[in-house]
Amino acid sequence: MSDVPAQPAQPRAARPPRPRRGATPWVIGIVLAAITVWAARGVQIDIPAIWQNFSNASGTLMQLFQPDYGFFPQTLSAIEETLMMAVIATAIGSLGSVPLAFLASRATNPSRALLAAIRFLNNVIRAVPDLLYAAVFVAVVGTGALSGVLALFFFNIGILVKLVSESLDGLDRGPQEAALAAGGTWFAADRVSMLPSVAPSFASQVLYTFEVNIRASTVIGLVGAGGLGVLIDNVRTFYHYHYLSLIILEILVLVLVVETASSMLRKQLAR
Amino acid sequence: MTTPTAIPAGKAVPPPRPSRLWVRAGWTAVLLVVLAAFWRVNIDWSQLSDFVPSLFHYLRLMFCPPAWSQTSAAFSATILSVQMAWIGSILGILISFPLSFLAARNVVPVWVRLPVRLVLAILRAVPEVVIAILILSVTGLTAWTGALALGIGSIGTLGKWGYESFESVSGGPLEAARATGGSRLAVIRWGLWPQAQPEVLAFWLYRFEISVRSSAILGLIGAGGIGKMLSDNTQYQNWNVVGILLIVVVVVTMIIDQISAVLRQRLITGRWALVGYGARRKALTPTGLA
Repeated sequence: MSDVPAQPAQPRAARPPRPRRGATPWVIGIVLAAITVWAARGVQIDIPAIWQNFSNASGTLMQLFQPDYGFFPQTLSAIEETLMMAVIATAIGSLGSVPLAFLASRATNPSRALLAAIRFLNNVIRAVPDLLYAAVFVAVVGTGALSGVLALFFFNIGILVKLVSESLDGLDRGPQEAALAAGGTWFAADRVSMLPSVAPSFASQVLYTFEVNIRASTVIGLVGAGGLGVLIDNVRTFYHYHYLSLIILEILVLVLVVETASSMLRKQLAR
Repeated sequence: MTTPTAIPAGKAVPPPRPSRLWVRAGWTAVLLVVLAAFWRVNIDWSQLSDFVPSLFHYLRLMFCPPAWSQTSAAFSATILSVQMAWIGSILGILISFPLSFLAARNVVPVWVRLPVRLVLAILRAVPEVVIAILILSVTGLTAWTGALALGIGSIGTLGKWGYESFESVSGGPLEAARATGGSRLAVIRWGLWPQAQPEVLAFWLYRFEISVRSSAILGLIGAGGIGKMLSDNTQYQNWNVVGILLIVVVVVTMIIDQISAVLRQRLITGRWALVGYGARRKALTPTGLA
């Protein structure tokens, strides 16, 4: 009764046909290769130069692995200046970015024209790198920490306005609608509904900006804007690579400590 | 029939407010640090009063009008910077790609990935300008030095984004590849890589955008390109040339960002679309990055 019905003779399992990919991967590959060749010619890639000069340079590079710890006391004031520039710039940058971020978010700015203008302006601000700001401000207000703080301020506005306005865009707009329906103005509605909701992600983005500032403030001194960079510029002009390696070590420690602390705090905020 | 339980009479007592002691202490500490920084820093704040007028003065010198005659020179200097960024990105991708496999939890054991991650963390922490200063002693003041510095500098971030996206793939396809008898390499090629590929390619493009910005900076220490032209002209106070340089930098950077954003959008979502400023773009950038 339970005899199995005979299996029909099955043909060999055939693989499905490979999807045709056409010429697209080849075109992409050729375009990328062409750009690379063009860029390589522009940059004048010179791999032999590395080997030829390496014997001359190996002496100086070896110095990098022998930091001169005796130089440490002289770097303290520069480290302090670096930290202070980062703290001040983060503070004024985050305060200054709040109104602009609200004006740059679709959720909090009902005027489309103003929105487009603020976003365009911010894209322009963001397109200028930190050291370029520093170079220009050193020319405007002279060398020192002030030009560094100003450079970091504009740099921070660019980052924070973009990040915070995107957070605002992603918020639940129910409370805002309730406040508007209750007769509040846009300003009042945003203040009581959107500002408290965006506060945690704003805090996290300020911490991230502080990390970025620590990195940036170590090098903007290279163009004269105060902090460790001034020191880097001095020691590299005189080829004191023992000192330079100590400074790099300090930057490493500073950046790693601040990043670890900040990412721990940001994890707390995200919960 | 249940009768509703009677509410006890008397004033409703609100629950006690949760203690915000630590939050308050934290804010006080932040405030103290900021105040201390303002108080200690060696800045003459009174200079700020003439900052706004002098800023407008310099802006007028730069942009009213900029030195249009220098446009083509500025443009070719910017192109050199972009070429530096491209070569740097290619180098960074070639080196970071194998490293990010060697740092992923689902590919290698802990004794391989910890040292690799340490190297990546150190490379991330050293600013590119400093890397460029170190390489200068080997290759001299050329655009090639800048490209090398950008390449080495991008290994750290690219490697990290790579192993993070490898670790976030779902385990099913890996298990399937293993169950059909795939070797370790086959599991990576057919289980892991197809899942991570769009995101990793998008990160490569994103890193190129960052390198374009950094390449302008590297010129400031002499590595050629737009930054070199800029530092030369600020030194000699040719403000109208500085103006045209800034315009060209901003325009080229914005165009490259836009092209790269459209390509990344295509890689991640499979659709061609113009990418605006808003939330859609957020998914396309690595976590926590501007």
